Amino acid sequence: MNVQFKKGVLELCVLVLLNKKDRYGYELVQKISEQIDISEGSAYPLLRRLTKEGYFTTYLKESTEGPPRKYYQLTDSGKSYLHDLLQEWEEFTNGVNQLIKEGVNGD
Amino acid sequence: MVTKKQFLTKLNASLKRLPSSERQDILQDMEEYFEIGIEEGKTEEQISASLGSPHQIAKELAAAYRVEKVGETATASNILRAVWAVIGLGFFNLVIVLGPFVALAGFIIAGWIVSVSFVASPILVLINVSIHPQIFEPFDLFFSIGLAGLGLFIAIGMFFATRAITNGFVRYLKYNVGLVKGGMKHVQY
Repeated sequence: MNVQFKKGVLELCVLVLLNKKDRYGYELVQKISEQIDISEGSAYPLLRRLTKEGYFTTYLKESTEGPPRKYYQLTDSGKSYLHDLLQEWEEFTNGVNQLIKEGVNGD
Repeated sequence: MVTKKQFLTKLNASLKRLPSSERQDILQDMEEYFEIGIEEGKTEEQISASLGSPHQIAKELAAAYRVEKVGETATASNILRAVWAVIGLGFFNLVIVLGPFVALAGFIIAGWIVSVSFVASPILVLINVSIHPQIFEPFDLFFSIGLAGLGLFIAIGMFFATRAITNGFVRYLKYNVGLVKGGMKHVQY
């Protein structure tokens, strides 16, 4: 799939995953790459950017195995950003689906 | 095949222009990523292959950092660094960032030169008079004072235009960092 396209969607994926619960970086990246073929390293610049823009906060939490892990937590402004993105996404996919339907039915 | 150590060394080298606190933080994130992967039974080589090119990751991190800096303080050197870093992300950015940048910078520079030279014009007339007193025309002096007034107005306009253009351009850079070239699979290094 197109690189630009994926990157836009990556932001949405990260926000959606954090909406349910706090997660650490590795977990986030694995969850996404189970579904979408991404270069896993590209998630990190994204995570840092969104953190600096105030959409996430981070904290360290001890793990039962190995060193402490950095967890990402969605802030209130992150939640409202997610809300906006989801709405855009729905409008966009509805539009595309409508066009596909018309195209496949062949009018 | 790249081991954890090689990957981190390359990433560190590509990030050398960033402040060390920022760099340490990034390297720690990547180290954590490797450690968890290894706990889950992956090899270092598998993990670094799935991460992609450290050079590309570094470029994106650097661009995000530079653009963030401009957001804090928009000095000319900060803007130039940010433009440079965003252009470095790929050819596409060269076209869509450099073009508008050159045009806007040209406009701002030209505007300021015009206003400064208008404001300075009475001084130039006076210098001219002191060198060649025989060709003094009162009209020159009045006209140049008028120009100076106009120059002041242009300067005020340019002050606001410069600020508005800078803010707009910083937003455009931010948008570019988010938009282009991520998730590049199959990047060779």
